[in-house]
Amino acid sequence: MSAVAIQAGDTPAARKSGGMTSWEKWGLILVIPYLLIFVVFVIYPVGYGLWLARHPESYTKLFADPIFFRTLVNTLIFVVVAVNVKMVVALFLSGFFLHTRWWIKALSLVFILPWAVPSIPTILSMRFMLNPEWGVINSAIFKLTGMDGPNWLNDPTLALSFSMLAHIWKSLPFWTLILLAGRMAIPGEQYEAASVDGASNWQKFCFITWPSMRSLFLTSTILSMIWTLGDFNSVYLLTGGGPADLTHVLATLGIRYLRLDQVDLSLASIVVALPLILPLVYFMMKRLSK
Amino acid sequence: MASVSFKNIEKSFGATKIIHGISFDISDGEFVVLVGPSGCGKSTLLRMLAGLEPISGGVITIDDKVINDLDSKDRDIAMVFQSYALYPHMTVRDNMAFSLKLRKADAELTNTRVANAARILNLDPLLDRFPRELSGGQRQRVAMGRAIVRDPKVFLFDEPLSNLDAKLRVAMRAEIKALHQRLKTTTVYVTHDQIEAMTMADRIVVMHDGIVEQIGTPLELFDHPGNLFVAQFIGSPSMNVLKGTLRQADGREWVEALGQQWPSLTHAQARDGQSVHYGVRPTDITVSASGNGIPAKVIVVEPTGAETELLLEVGGAQLVVVMHGRTAVQPDDVVHLEITAEKSHVFDGTTEKRLD
Amino acid sequence: MSAGLRKSRITWKMVSTEAKLLLIGIPVFLWTIIPIYHMVLFSISPRNAATSGRLWPKEPTLSNFSFVFQQKHFYLDHFWAQLGNSLVIALSVGALTLAVSTAAAFAISRLKVRGGRTVMNMALFTYFIPAAFLAVPMYKTMGNYGLLNSQWSLILAMVTIASPYCIWVLKQASDKLPWELDEAARMDGATAMQLFRLVYLPLMVPSLVAVGTYALLLAWNEYLYAFLLLSKDSSVTLAVALGNFLAADDSPWELLMTTGLIYALPPAAIYYAFKRYMVSGLTAGAVKS
Ligand SMILES: Nc1ncnc2c1ncn2[C@@H]1O[C@H](COP(=O)(O)OP(=O)(O)OP(=O)(O)O)[C@@H](O)[C@H]1O
Ligand SMILES: [Mg+2]
Repeated sequence: MSAVAIQAGDTPAARKSGGMTSWEKWGLILVIPYLLIFVVFVIYPVGYGLWLARHPESYTKLFADPIFFRTLVNTLIFVVVAVNVKMVVALFLSGFFLHTRWWIKALSLVFILPWAVPSIPTILSMRFMLNPEWGVINSAIFKLTGMDGPNWLNDPTLALSFSMLAHIWKSLPFWTLILLAGRMAIPGEQYEAASVDGASNWQKFCFITWPSMRSLFLTSTILSMIWTLGDFNSVYLLTGGGPADLTHVLATLGIRYLRLDQVDLSLASIVVALPLILPLVYFMMKRLSK
Repeated sequence: MASVSFKNIEKSFGATKIIHGISFDISDGEFVVLVGPSGCGKSTLLRMLAGLEPISGGVITIDDKVINDLDSKDRDIAMVFQSYALYPHMTVRDNMAFSLKLRKADAELTNTRVANAARILNLDPLLDRFPRELSGGQRQRVAMGRAIVRDPKVFLFDEPLSNLDAKLRVAMRAEIKALHQRLKTTTVYVTHDQIEAMTMADRIVVMHDGIVEQIGTPLELFDHPGNLFVAQFIGSPSMNVLKGTLRQADGREWVEALGQQWPSLTHAQARDGQSVHYGVRPTDITVSASGNGIPAKVIVVEPTGAETELLLEVGGAQLVVVMHGRTAVQPDDVVHLEITAEKSHVFDGTTEKRLD
Repeated sequence: MSAGLRKSRITWKMVSTEAKLLLIGIPVFLWTIIPIYHMVLFSISPRNAATSGRLWPKEPTLSNFSFVFQQKHFYLDHFWAQLGNSLVIALSVGALTLAVSTAAAFAISRLKVRGGRTVMNMALFTYFIPAAFLAVPMYKTMGNYGLLNSQWSLILAMVTIASPYCIWVLKQASDKLPWELDEAARMDGATAMQLFRLVYLPLMVPSLVAVGTYALLLAWNEYLYAFLLLSKDSSVTLAVALGNFLAADDSPWELLMTTGLIYALPPAAIYYAFKRYMVSGLTAGAVKS
């Protein structure tokens, strides 16, 4: 009995094999590949990038570049307008796709295509549609009116608007799907009860749909803002930043500088974007890592 | 076949200590039931024995070998979970054979063992089904089959019947009991249902707030509950308890409560005027329409067929009485209660310990 | 009010609902299909007829496809090699991401490895930083590692970008598996790796399909990283090759659109084939709010 008691004294802390059970050891072994990737391809690049962007002159040069301010404005317009339009339309369409009709089901299969296929061919297709000489749009205008259509992508405002449309075209299906899933999670009885109480469709939306979707909608909007900030393709493939570098956004500006071999400016432009991104990222982390 | 012993077992989750030094022994082949209210630490104790939860203090031995630091797979213990925890992607056969497969047992041995277990539990026709294709009771049996196949030293059950409906629960209760009588494997069975404990156990361990209140055979606990908690926990409907004062005179002893005198045996440790809890089981009170005894007013009459349960009022307090057979008593009638002193239980008013 | 009248009123209401739905459905359909149809139209039109403004070519032809397949244009010299590159890179990224993220999710969710929460947060952080902002640092880094122009650089970069989300989705799904299964397996004598192989993986198949497909499509569709990290004509992916058409104004559009269509078909097919897994796997992750 006393021998047992002595053993008991050191059991609680005692662990086998160097303080680790085999389960804990395997746990460590299995996260190591990701940790390696994280260190080698996230920590190191970010650290190296920050180090390269450490010179104040880079920022003076950046702020002196007129394109930079244009880019900032474009980015803000892009994020605020494109995201909000897209999310409101997605919220509306999620209600539409909730209806059960065979043709709506079929349409939903088509509707998802822009998201399911890669950006390049479809955005290039749009680019050709907008070509001033041979594009279908101007051909149609010429056929109908006998006049030449505008040079769509040569006007910075129009070009940026079309970039936003391309962006919306590409990502609308995804967000509609997300919001549709959110709508489907609302119990049908709530609507039935509201119908019994004589609520109109608009009232049902205000008092049932919106309250249960609000949080999802907010999260989705923030996430969409982050992703939109990083949308390189919609701008680069459609306008290439042109005309005269007037339609760049932060996501393409860094690449432009890189191609001009101005790595310091490129990294500085990314560092400047951080105050925009980090609060949004912080918000998302708080939401999701509960 | 094995004996198990707990010595001063303690368990803390972070800073909260939830098991405060538990010691008891289980002998070879015994069926021991851990019973107690929800949250008292039964599952935790069982899981420490199973090796699923580290032991914060004390020692657990199986066959006199300390197992604190053994992996659960090296303890030779099988467990049946409340949720059954069958592997959803394996057939019944594969579920039962899984442990042997992991041990690289040869195919023939595995087949015989699985076939044996299936025969014992009537699982033969279900061997090729998946768990999702089984009823609750069948899943329960597969979970037991998985344990039997291993032929372990100790079986552990954690509330295995609580997901079944009432009728099936009674049937499975008998089945588990029969299984134990057949296999004679040492078994530790956790439940919060005292009827399960009473009907199945060789010995019951009553737990409460991380300590052991009493250990004993079902009838010992029923007839001589060691304290007020056990008295009220064991038995259904539960024991009537009245707060009162103990009186001694002329070598006689009784308890004054609710303005009445309640008969009791004499207790060596008792003194006159001591405040006590007086307990009497509903089945130990005789009701008569007239005559002597303590008068009580009938509030509710609940016939259940073989028995009739009466809810009575005495001096503002309520008592439950179970009568055999049927009765003509009506609500608002006044009846008389007779209690034999041998059937009474007296507990100290402050320590709540049984007076002997 | 007579029954007949009531019935006709209901019908009228139904018609108006249908009309409203169509009024939404038709524009949605046109909006979605026009850029895609435009691409298809180009690919089946003869060289000079594509811009005729007709909705269906007078003489639809597959000659553009045979042009592409026979690499009969300066831009298409490496078509087959580039298609192969896209395929190899996408498959490698899919497989590697699956391996890395499944292992990590299992360790974090089921083995409860110490610091698992931190790893999860690091992964989430990476997921939320837009990939475009990591592109330049990644490009410089790959230069330092001497990996530029090697397809490994693109594969590793895409694994880095894909795995955080995959780990997160897999962890969410793993957390839903009953804990007792692991305990039962432990008592049955399973080691950590046996639990992983024999219990965890089979039960995670739907999520694994979703996540593997996600990574595969991400890599196949990627343009920015591909054009930054790869440059030799014979080692770039099809996405980069398509982008190169933009270099000149007199590009052969019908060939570009044909190649684009060929490039877009596999992801669309994969998406439809695994739609069930994708939608449930991916929205389940995102909908948590
Ligand atoms: N992993 C844990 N972390 C913190 N506290 C825990 C943990 N597991 C159990 N507890 C606490 O320990 C106490 C005992 O839990 P246990 O599961 O052993 O109760 P039980 O007697 O089995 O109850 P029940 O009949 O409800 O199953 C409870 O108060 C519970 O909240
Ligand atoms: Mg329990």
